[in-house]
Amino acid sequence: MSLEKTLSQIEDSFSDYVFGLTEFAGEKIIHINGQRIIDVLKIFKDAGFNFLADLTATDNLTLGGFERFAVVYHLLSHASAERVTVKAYVPEDNPVLPSIELLWKTADWQEREVFDLFGIKFEGHPNLIRIMNPDDYEGYPLRKDYPRLGRKERYDFPVIDRGIQKQKRTK
Amino acid sequence: MTRVTEQQLETDRMILNFGPHHPSTHGTLRIIMELEGETVMKAIPEIGYLHSGFEKLGEDLDFNQYITITDRMNYLSPLCNNVAYALAAEKLMELEVSKRTEYIRVLMCELSRIADHLLNVGMLAVDLGAMTAFLYGFRAREDIYDLFEIATGTRLTTSYTLVGGLMRDIPDGYDKAVLKVLDEVDEIANDIETLLTKNRIWHDRTKNIGIISKENAISYGISGPMARASGIDWDIRVNEPYSSYEDFDFDVAIALNGDVFDRYLVRMEEIRQSINICRQSLDKMPTGDVSIDPDFGFSLPPKDEVYNSIEGLIYHFEVTMPNRGMNPPVGEAYVATESPNGELGYYIVSDGNRTPYRVRTRPPSLINYSIFSKLIEGHMLSDAPAILGSINIIAGELDR
Amino acid sequence: MNHDDIKSNVLTTTLESAINWGRKNSLWPMPFGTACCGIEFMAVLAARTDISRFGAEAIRFSPRQSDLLIVAGRISIKMMPVLIRIYEQMPEPKWVISMGACASTGGVFDTYSVIQGIDNFIPVDVYVPGCPPRPEGVVESLMKIQNLIDKEKLSDYALSSSK
Repeated sequence: MSLEKTLSQIEDSFSDYVFGLTEFAGEKIIHINGQRIIDVLKIFKDAGFNFLADLTATDNLTLGGFERFAVVYHLLSHASAERVTVKAYVPEDNPVLPSIELLWKTADWQEREVFDLFGIKFEGHPNLIRIMNPDDYEGYPLRKDYPRLGRKERYDFPVIDRGIQKQKRTK
Repeated sequence: MTRVTEQQLETDRMILNFGPHHPSTHGTLRIIMELEGETVMKAIPEIGYLHSGFEKLGEDLDFNQYITITDRMNYLSPLCNNVAYALAAEKLMELEVSKRTEYIRVLMCELSRIADHLLNVGMLAVDLGAMTAFLYGFRAREDIYDLFEIATGTRLTTSYTLVGGLMRDIPDGYDKAVLKVLDEVDEIANDIETLLTKNRIWHDRTKNIGIISKENAISYGISGPMARASGIDWDIRVNEPYSSYEDFDFDVAIALNGDVFDRYLVRMEEIRQSINICRQSLDKMPTGDVSIDPDFGFSLPPKDEVYNSIEGLIYHFEVTMPNRGMNPPVGEAYVATESPNGELGYYIVSDGNRTPYRVRTRPPSLINYSIFSKLIEGHMLSDAPAILGSINIIAGELDR
Repeated sequence: MNHDDIKSNVLTTTLESAINWGRKNSLWPMPFGTACCGIEFMAVLAARTDISRFGAEAIRFSPRQSDLLIVAGRISIKMMPVLIRIYEQMPEPKWVISMGACASTGGVFDTYSVIQGIDNFIPVDVYVPGCPPRPEGVVESLMKIQNLIDKEKLSDYALSSSK
């Protein structure tokens, strides 16, 4: 099934959930509500988009968009060498959407990364814990309202002295 | 003497902490393994020990500044990252680069691929106890470093590309230097293959170890040499050609078993093919300019103009001042390239300012590594370094 | 033994300089390589800039067997506790080289998760500039460490018994 057909099929069957279809630099992007992401991706998968190339998120705080967060899925079809971008929007007050770990195992770690850096929760994920930052880290660093320099986490360690070689430096 | 009864021999499973600082982790990986005797029953990889906030940094640096950061993401083949990022930014801004630029980029990418694979095969051999292949590989790598140094000025952190061009053209006589190194690399690859390919110990340590099936490879998003070793006929250079790869004639190396040995074979064959591509690109190197039209508004003027003419200086300031410079369109672009590890993608979202709104790297190391815990289950502990080595993890890219 | 034999076979020196001479020419480095500098450190080990010329080729990945810590690469907040632990596990006397801009100052990574210079938390003897430093720079830093060791006085050591 060609990409156009698949897109129009999704537009028809999930008309309440599809926000729109855009194209930029030759790439088709479908904007949908995050709640039905599994069903939409299943249709893509059945249509030959067998490879989840990338899963990430954006924080639309200043960019504007349908909701505060968008989880972005880049799909690739090995058969037809086509790519399509699916953007699933999640609201700020309840950043939860279903996990697609059952469709593609690669989503496991990437969803953990999105959770770690954006604080978006994935329902049904087998092991949703932080992956990049330490477990006791507070905040979600890639959100736009998180400062680049952090909140002093990088200064929070004990200072070790020189031991028996101490006098060498004090002279 | 009484025989020890079976009941007395019962032992608990042992939890082994592997890393984060261990010689065969190639950086900063940590794996917590549950062992039954010497068999790994379960492995939990723990990553993030090199998380440096690359993506946050990308939101604060402008399009050209971020190129210096992409070097430090993948320090085995930095030029591939430079090129991939430049391609993504060019796609976003809908820029066309000259043919010569594309050919030089291809040449540099393929040299990087050779250097990466040589080091990878060498490190895999070191982890399995064979030091010689590493030293041979590093000798060729040093020669390739020299080539990078001639063209870019540094050995490792090259920052060679600009959005819309290259930092500088390759010097005269570069092709001769490259050809000389390529001959040496060819010889060294022969030497390494003589040492390893038919070596009985090498076979014992690598065959049927860490097999990835075709289905698993797709489900786990595996790409690059690892996927090709599992029989997936997919090479972005051929299937979705970028940067004039369609002009080059080369074969895609594929193996069918998907074990460590096949991944080694695929990498060695890719070294040969890359040598071939490098030779072709030197043969067909077009003439022309490598920088985009300076009137376009954001490529820095040549340095001698900046130092010697007032117009050049003013123009330089205009480009680098905070509120001037690039005005990219509002939009987003994802570009996938074939890096030595697999699909290296850059996803750039722009809100029209001079800094990107969001820069995301699709890290092949991270995604290829995610299958590791599945691969190691049921294998001996001593196979862990072999499997790790064959995945070719680059911590900088893994954690970003 | 006659007088001439003694003259040509016996060398007098102080205990201090004999110890320092031994220490400086048999440094056992422990590379704490995390990122790009770790790759350049590999180049330091390989044939072209061979650090065995300085007696420092015995790379040990166990902190308990080494006396020179080479921190090569950026240190994240998740890694810093590990580095502190490794430093504390090394037997004294010990020396530290901070290789490259990231380990020394944080380098280009002025972000939430990168330590802005390991010398905020552990003592450093020699800093190597560069991003990453060339292998020659690392060799130079090794020679600097040798000079430091040469000047060391045993009386300077604050031994716990002498307190």
